[in-house]
Amino acid sequence: MKGTIRNKLVAGFSGVLVIMTVVAAIGGYAVFSLRHSAFDATRVGARLNSLSLEIQIHNLEAVRKIKSYLTQTGKPGEEKARQMNLEEAKFEINEIHSLAAKAIAVAPTKETRAKFATIVAAVTQYEQALGKAVETSAANPVSEGSKTALAVYEDAAENLRESAEDGEVVGHDASQASLEAIERTSSRSVALVVGISFLGLALGIVVSYQLSRAILIPVDHLREVAESVSLGNLDIAVRRYSEDEIGDLADSFSRMVTAVKFFRMEAELTQSEAASEVSNERSL
Amino acid sequence: MSAVSDKVVATSKPYLGPAAESFISRQCKAHLKVELANLSSAHLKDLAKWVELGAGLIMDPAKAVELAKKISAG
Repeated sequence: MKGTIRNKLVAGFSGVLVIMTVVAAIGGYAVFSLRHSAFDATRVGARLNSLSLEIQIHNLEAVRKIKSYLTQTGKPGEEKARQMNLEEAKFEINEIHSLAAKAIAVAPTKETRAKFATIVAAVTQYEQALGKAVETSAANPVSEGSKTALAVYEDAAENLRESAEDGEVVGHDASQASLEAIERTSSRSVALVVGISFLGLALGIVVSYQLSRAILIPVDHLREVAESVSLGNLDIAVRRYSEDEIGDLADSFSRMVTAVKFFRMEAELTQSEAASEVSNERSL
Repeated sequence: MSAVSDKVVATSKPYLGPAAESFISRQCKAHLKVELANLSSAHLKDLAKWVELGAGLIMDPAKAVELAKKISAG
């Protein structure tokens, strides 16, 4: 491709355009990735929070049902309601199991998973303690063994409640970690976009400077030559700086200066020949 | 003008512009003692030598050498 001014301008501005496109693409990618990680992190944090709250609600409900079940022990006519309470409590416990398993699947880190695994262990313990309490109270509700089983059950219930509360804290922490991750990604993206923008700006300045030099230097030289010729100085070299339109202009100008020089020399020669003839005639 | 003189003038135009014909004519008369119209291929070597000298006075010597080579090559 010939290095004409048009081609140089097209190449220069295309280069700047490409740089700006790269900057925009990187900026766009950064914003997209920020949005994606923000969405992802917020979703996980919110989900863990919600699962922990659900576990707590099911735990409260299970404890309430078991309390009703135990107070109904030995009361005639309430056997059916009592069994219903027991079944509902078991259902709540199953729900807690299922929710804890979901939380383990969603949890983003090993520590978070470990916290929800604690809930699973607590609910298993709770289930066993409940089974024992139900068994002993059915045999003899006022026996020493029944009282001990009830105390173990209450401990297990308290333990489950505390584990569920821990789960809620973990959910909250996960949300907090998500916010921190968003903040980190955001800072990184801003730094990246600013850095790339500065790089683009620097390259744009370099391209513009080179482009202006490529045009201005030969034009300035031609201006100097034209000024010199206009003042009568024809002994000036016309340089061709570039293989473009300005180079062609320099060639034309050089040809013009050469022709003027020749015609001036020829005129001077003719003048001197005429003067010499006049002088010869006079001497004759 | 002969075909040779036309060709020499045409070769000189990009270097001397409107002065090409006068310049070549002057070199022919002054140094080769022939009219431009009577220029033949036999004169080209000598003409090139004088063109190099004469043109070197009014233009960039490198360009004068270039023009002389073109004239000499016919």
